Amino acid sequence: MSITAETAKAHAHDPAVLCCRAEGGITIEPANLEDPAIFDDLVDSGLLNLDGCLTIEEVLGAKLTKTCDSLCPLTADVVEGAKAPSAPAVEEAVEEAAPAPEAVPAAPAAAPMAGGVLKIHIGEGKDIDLEIPVGALGGGSAAAAAPAGAVPAVAAGVAAPAAEQEPKLVRSLTRKHFNITEVKRGPETKIEGTTLYIREGIEKECIDSQKLVYDLKIDIITPEQYHTYSETIMDVQPIATKEGEDELGSGVTRVLDGVVMMVTGTDANGVQIGEFGSSEGYLDENIMWGRPGAPEKGEIFIKTQVTVKEGTNMERPGPLAAHTASDLITQEIRECLKKLDESLVVDTEQFDQYRRPGKKKVVIVKEIMGQGAMHDNLILPVEPVGILGGKPNVDLGNVPVAVSPLEVLDGCIHALTCIGPASKEMSRHYWREPLVLEALHDEEIDLCGVIFVGSPQINAEKFYVSRRVGQICEMLDVDGAFVTTEGFGNNHIDFASHHEQIGMRGIPVVGMSFCAVQGALVVGNKYMTHMVDNNKSESGIENEVLACNTLCPEDAVRALQMLKNAMGGEDVKAAEKKWNPNVKTSNVEAIESVTGKGLKLVENEQSLPMSQKRKEKYD
Amino acid sequence: MGNVQILLRQHVGAPCQAIVKAGDEVKKGTKIAVPAGLGANIFSSVYGVVEEVLEDRIVIRPDEEQKDEFVPIEAADENDKLALVKEAGIVGMGGAGFPTGVKLGINLAETEMAELDPEINPELPADFKLEHSYILINAAECEPGLEHNIRQIEEQCDKVVRGVKYCMEITHADKAIFAVKKKNEKAVGILRKAIADEADITIHLLPDIYPMGEERAVVRECLGVNLTTMQLPSAARSVVVNLETAAKVAEAVDEKKPCITKNLTVRGKINGGNAAHVFMDVPVGVSVGELIERAGGIDGEYGEIIMGGAFTGKSTELDEPITKTTGGILVTIDFPDLHGADVGLLVCACGGSEERMREIAEKMNGKVVSVCRCKQAIENKPGAPLKCLRPGNCPGQVKNNMQFKKDKCEYIIIGNCSDCSNTVMASGPKMGLKVFHQTDHVMRTVGHALYRTLRVSKQVDQLPNGK
Repeated sequence: MSITAETAKAHAHDPAVLCCRAEGGITIEPANLEDPAIFDDLVDSGLLNLDGCLTIEEVLGAKLTKTCDSLCPLTADVVEGAKAPSAPAVEEAVEEAAPAPEAVPAAPAAAPMAGGVLKIHIGEGKDIDLEIPVGALGGGSAAAAAPAGAVPAVAAGVAAPAAEQEPKLVRSLTRKHFNITEVKRGPETKIEGTTLYIREGIEKECIDSQKLVYDLKIDIITPEQYHTYSETIMDVQPIATKEGEDELGSGVTRVLDGVVMMVTGTDANGVQIGEFGSSEGYLDENIMWGRPGAPEKGEIFIKTQVTVKEGTNMERPGPLAAHTASDLITQEIRECLKKLDESLVVDTEQFDQYRRPGKKKVVIVKEIMGQGAMHDNLILPVEPVGILGGKPNVDLGNVPVAVSPLEVLDGCIHALTCIGPASKEMSRHYWREPLVLEALHDEEIDLCGVIFVGSPQINAEKFYVSRRVGQICEMLDVDGAFVTTEGFGNNHIDFASHHEQIGMRGIPVVGMSFCAVQGALVVGNKYMTHMVDNNKSESGIENEVLACNTLCPEDAVRALQMLKNAMGGEDVKAAEKKWNPNVKTSNVEAIESVTGKGLKLVENEQSLPMSQKRKEKYD
Repeated sequence: MGNVQILLRQHVGAPCQAIVKAGDEVKKGTKIAVPAGLGANIFSSVYGVVEEVLEDRIVIRPDEEQKDEFVPIEAADENDKLALVKEAGIVGMGGAGFPTGVKLGINLAETEMAELDPEINPELPADFKLEHSYILINAAECEPGLEHNIRQIEEQCDKVVRGVKYCMEITHADKAIFAVKKKNEKAVGILRKAIADEADITIHLLPDIYPMGEERAVVRECLGVNLTTMQLPSAARSVVVNLETAAKVAEAVDEKKPCITKNLTVRGKINGGNAAHVFMDVPVGVSVGELIERAGGIDGEYGEIIMGGAFTGKSTELDEPITKTTGGILVTIDFPDLHGADVGLLVCACGGSEERMREIAEKMNGKVVSVCRCKQAIENKPGAPLKCLRPGNCPGQVKNNMQFKKDKCEYIIIGNCSDCSNTVMASGPKMGLKVFHQTDHVMRTVGHALYRTLRVSKQVDQLPNGK
């Protein structure tokens, strides 16, 4: 399709191909040219050969010397008066290897071309290329003479405020860790030294507490028992409690190390509580160890296996009952934990929330599931990842809710969303949310807070909530925003809309989602120019391995770097048409080389013993 | 002569209201219906008796003997030319049917040039102004196979030129330009002689591609101004009138004649061959079947009968009547049989509506699995007919072809103009799509080249000083 002057500008360096027959003697205008976005397909299918083709900026305003037909690449022999390419020749040499912050297929490529960008080619080692906003170097072209010195300037580029101002400490959160090495059943729930006892017979109270719960079993899974069959894992939760009168998000939180709560279950007909896939099977084959939301290898699981009334697996009350029944056990442990002697503390962690005036102000928008059925989240319970006091975001209308980064890390989300297990964020994920942690600790940006927004089922409601997100971002006057989501498909509609609502206000946005192959975006808009793919799986799919494709530190680091680039006016190359895992690798390498810090990538499902299901369905 | 059926809606706007009842005797020129809203008077085209007044039409049984005399129109001031045009019930005879009395009710001398969209006028300066105001005479006769417009120039050129001058007078236009295809050499020759001494009337020659007769294409060709789909020619200080309409204006002013007849072309699978049968001054309301009989009758099996042109016409039946806007009656050969194959439709503003395209697909026994729309086909209001942003200049079609391929179409049926059809052909067949054009069955019938690859230039040399 013919293009507009605006598109022509954005694609100035792309090949110029006639969209339609044009007669000799005409002056070439954007309306004569085909949209470069579709060239890959045409080249692939042999309809187009771009050898020797001039670029769009070269041919605009030039004269076509002979009549050419549709899809004719404009080469020097049919064009008279072509302009010289604007970019210096050296750029041609490096562009192919330029750091291509990754993106996802189907995201429209509308990023404007870089203006005023100094591109430096370092011809050593792995052939690394950098793009640095000229302004960041403090002196236009003069800085080009000192590329070596420019390298560390990349990270500093964004954060060069006029006047250095003191960071302001807003609040702190202390985590006191207590170690557990053994979990046993006993006549009462208690903690003795590093042994946790769970009251025998508590199961009956759990069952009786919830009308929809027909049965509840407790299994203590030690590392030796990891090869145990389990129903689908509905949640993984830290066992933590507030000290005294402290409120969630500040003060002191006590947490047990070495043990996690794990909620699993089916309905009375034996149907897994899952929608797109489920993680039932041998635990050691279906858990991606060490993901923020998953258990660590070596931890003991207090695993409840809940049976809910038949047919309620796909309705909100069913899963909620399973969680509530399980929380009865956690709550009894919390009560013991509150009373433990201070001398048993093995480790103390402190999280400080600073505001950093003068630095680029950044907000994290986390889209959480709110479609109903088993897609819900309890927001801000009284206890970390508790039930009591938490408000289901579906009942809140999925509207955006503002929380502090420390509330996120203190378990303000009790997640009921572990469906499509590989890409959903479990409760423990928020407790260790990598993007919040990275942004909180980054002294170059001013993290002003986190916004949770639910993903409603109906499109009209999706746009309703995303407009609120846009409005809040406008009010906050942020310089940049992250939008993260979990799952894929339906939620991508509002994910895209969040980008639009924030982007249309002139605020750069970096999106984070599992996309790859199976989660390829179904919608897009011109603001979706900065994307980080959370995929870790080998084939780019929802592989039903718990938490495999969720947001990890390596994703957070890339997203943060990308947002800094975006806020600095740096261009990000458009996504490749098909998912290419190498894009991530080269981005990671680029970041490593600039920061000088190694970034160890997490393992994926290939490190796990092969399950029968995976063998049959996926790999 | 069979019954004459006069439709109450023969124009853009609301249906007229009948003012006669069954049993009334009517003459040629008896006013039988008046506008109820936007519209134009309707007169009886024959002597006879009103047999029935139906919701959408008045049926008249004509007398055996039909005199040439007609009841002249009346106006309060018989020198008020605009009033005569309104009273005569003239509408755009090219097919659109917009009431001419309303269209000409503009003072072009005082009409300011509107703001132009720079995106579609890259070559014009931002403050571009037209010095003159214009009557543009649409003599493109753009629908392939029709010949009655050009025949009228050849036979009634003086009347047409007189009508044009009346239009200029009514609208205070200081110039007039005839837009006519260069290939019509005889007509152009006659026209040149007719306007040789008319200082303010010139000729603009058009290339032989489709569409040139689209109103905004005429403006662009003659004046070099591209209008948006929402802009009227008045935005370029001009009014576009079909040449047959101009002739009707002359008849109303000079002869006080109401608009009761139509010129048209009957053509196709007719006994005696596929040459055009041009009928001048056919009474409005005569049936399609009667005209086909006059031309020689249908020659055996046929595909469909189209009222109007191959691109924008609609299928019709033998007992349907012609109206003030009917330009053609085309009888086609049978359709090819696609045996239920998957078909994609490329709908654009220059050809049939999606409904018409689906009808053709069905008649070809194809299964529509994909529908794309040309990027330039603009729907100004939901449900409004599509309008082309740049008539005759293609915006590229390969993306649509890719969609058809994705939707697994074996065939595609396109309704595009010459330029867009050419573009479709540049990639479609290479992708393995078999291309039909909506007009193929008509073009094969009348022996016209099929709309596929474009082999003629969009540029033609103009006459010296337009004379």
